[in-house]
Amino acid sequence: MQLIVTAISKDYGPVAAVRQVSFQINSGDIFALLGPNGAGKSSIIRMLVGMTRPDSGSILVSHQDQHYDHVPRRLLGYLPEDRGLYPDKSIEKNLLYLAQLHGLSKQHALKEMAHWLDVFELTDRRQEDLKQLSKGNQQKVQLIAAVLHQPALVILDEPFSGLDPINQEKVVTFLKALKARGMTVILSAHQMAMVEKLADRMLLMAQGKAILSGTLADIQQQAGPQRQIHISCAGPVTAEQLRQWLPELDIELLTANRFVLRLSAEQSVSATLKRLVNELELTQVEMQSADLHQLYLMAMAEHQLREQA
Amino acid sequence: MISRQSIIVAKWEFLRFFKWKQQLISYLLMMAVMAAVALWSFFTDESRKVYRIAVPAEFSISNTEQFQFQRPTIALEEQLAQLKDGESWHGVVTVSPATAAEPGVVLHTLAAKKWQQQLETELNNYFRQQYATELQLTPAQLTRLQQPLALEYVYLDEDFKGKDTPEKMIALGVLILLFIGLSTAFGQVLLSITGEKQQRVTEQLYAIVTPQQWMDGKVLGHSLSAMKAMVTSALVMLLVFIVVSVVVRDNGVNLSWVNWGVLAWLVPFALLGVLLSACFMGAIAASIDDPNTSGKGAVMMITWLPMLFTYLVIDSPTGTAMTILSWLPLTSFAAMPVKMAMVELPWWQPALSLLLLVAALWWMRRLAGRIFLRGMQMYGKEPGWGQIVGWALSNKAE
Repeated sequence: MQLIVTAISKDYGPVAAVRQVSFQINSGDIFALLGPNGAGKSSIIRMLVGMTRPDSGSILVSHQDQHYDHVPRRLLGYLPEDRGLYPDKSIEKNLLYLAQLHGLSKQHALKEMAHWLDVFELTDRRQEDLKQLSKGNQQKVQLIAAVLHQPALVILDEPFSGLDPINQEKVVTFLKALKARGMTVILSAHQMAMVEKLADRMLLMAQGKAILSGTLADIQQQAGPQRQIHISCAGPVTAEQLRQWLPELDIELLTANRFVLRLSAEQSVSATLKRLVNELELTQVEMQSADLHQLYLMAMAEHQLREQA
Repeated sequence: MISRQSIIVAKWEFLRFFKWKQQLISYLLMMAVMAAVALWSFFTDESRKVYRIAVPAEFSISNTEQFQFQRPTIALEEQLAQLKDGESWHGVVTVSPATAAEPGVVLHTLAAKKWQQQLETELNNYFRQQYATELQLTPAQLTRLQQPLALEYVYLDEDFKGKDTPEKMIALGVLILLFIGLSTAFGQVLLSITGEKQQRVTEQLYAIVTPQQWMDGKVLGHSLSAMKAMVTSALVMLLVFIVVSVVVRDNGVNLSWVNWGVLAWLVPFALLGVLLSACFMGAIAASIDDPNTSGKGAVMMITWLPMLFTYLVIDSPTGTAMTILSWLPLTSFAAMPVKMAMVELPWWQPALSLLLLVAALWWMRRLAGRIFLRGMQMYGKEPGWGQIVGWALSNKAE
């Protein structure tokens, strides 16, 4: 399934939720929508699902030579941001109900259910009421509910929220399994480390606008050739001291006597290192490119400055 | 017309509230309470006791099965003292003082009791007899005077079946059953729709079924629950009738008074009425975001009004009010069966009324689906009445 979104906008009364956003999702890709709360990610998802229509722009969904203006229900697996199931019913009853609504036979649904319950280690608890499960386990049941019918496209609005790191890793494995089955996945998340591991392409949003988009390499390119120098010093040094010596750099204290220095394209690595060697006894120097978390923060800060200007 | 998904939703909703164990226990409890009430009234039946009543010496009133009249020779004060002690008498009768406005008697007792009504009747009979003797009336003349007027009603409208026919009893029974059914649906629809919104299931369901399929399923499921409540209540009523006929009256079960033709019309009207009311309730519930803060829940009780209005005009089945109620699709499900039970109508009248009811049901179900969709798109903001009316008038579907 391929999605081409062209310049969509959506207003809720006086609030511009989405402004002229365009992106493309290729079949079998994992696509991540990133941005702070209120950036417009859920609004885009609701337009893709067909719950709301864009005020302007277009959505083109193509699947097996058929074209639609939103994702058809039979091809969609959806985990909404506002989610919940029936707490006084068992895992099995909840999943069976949703699977049958998707058109699966009871036998087929039970088979698929057994597979996914095994993946999430919930097989022994299938007869328990949902209210007896932890929030994390309820989340896993909802993820299963979204994919039981093997949809062509899975949209997951914040699938990592409420999960501990171990379960977040399980969701990463789950998403990779979906990709391996040929499903296209759209997810929104705040957990950049997870997204970095998973997403083929991503869209960074702020205040309804697209800030950066593409693969991780594309985004690193768009954000500028950011470089980072990780340094460790022998003696006690504070970040304030470093900032006095190198006022033009972005400096962050990592641990005691360990810092990260961020350089823009114009700033010279060798000149910076020379100045540092004059002032400090360096025990370790390491060059790194910015990760998604840093790129995200930088992009947001830059966006904020632009908006203020 | 009804999709497979709607039927799955309907089954889910019906079974969600179908707790057969609890229902069986509640029926057993109800029967236990009824048995306890019957036993209590048997053991406290005042009519089976014998009461001693002190009367003035000049009273020639005869004893009955329930009352023994005694003529004590002691002073009244002493009689009343003994009455207070509860030793000798249950009541003391004296003649009104000569200064009283009208001649009569005074009954002294400890407190008001049911048997005193029977005593009043006995005293009345005794005094009538006394006056008849004074006026030199013969027993036949006295009997004639006491006999009520034989008033016979002759209705010239050939279509009017009569005032207190068995059909009217059936129609009243249907009104009661409708009330039971709609009360059941009221609670369930409100709980189910607003509960699902609060449990945040609706958006997930939206991705699977259309709002109309979802609403159809809800309406059907809760209408089935309402019908189940009506059928079980009807069976309980029938059981009571059989018990009363066989055990209490020692007769066989006689159902020859049932007009099966009228009954056959009552069923579709009742079914469509329940469906229409459930659609209305669904539409209102779909517009409620939080039942704890919304005042819209009470509006769902409007569905009880057709039964109330029909009951108010039940004794004028050919009147204008009943005619309007029996044609208006929002009230016809309650009024037309009652009218049919009491007045002979040409077949096309109930048929046309039924057709209008089906049309209203179709419109109401579409409206309920529309309100659910639009309400969901407002994300936690409750629609106002103006918006709801706007959606009702527009014909825009999903």
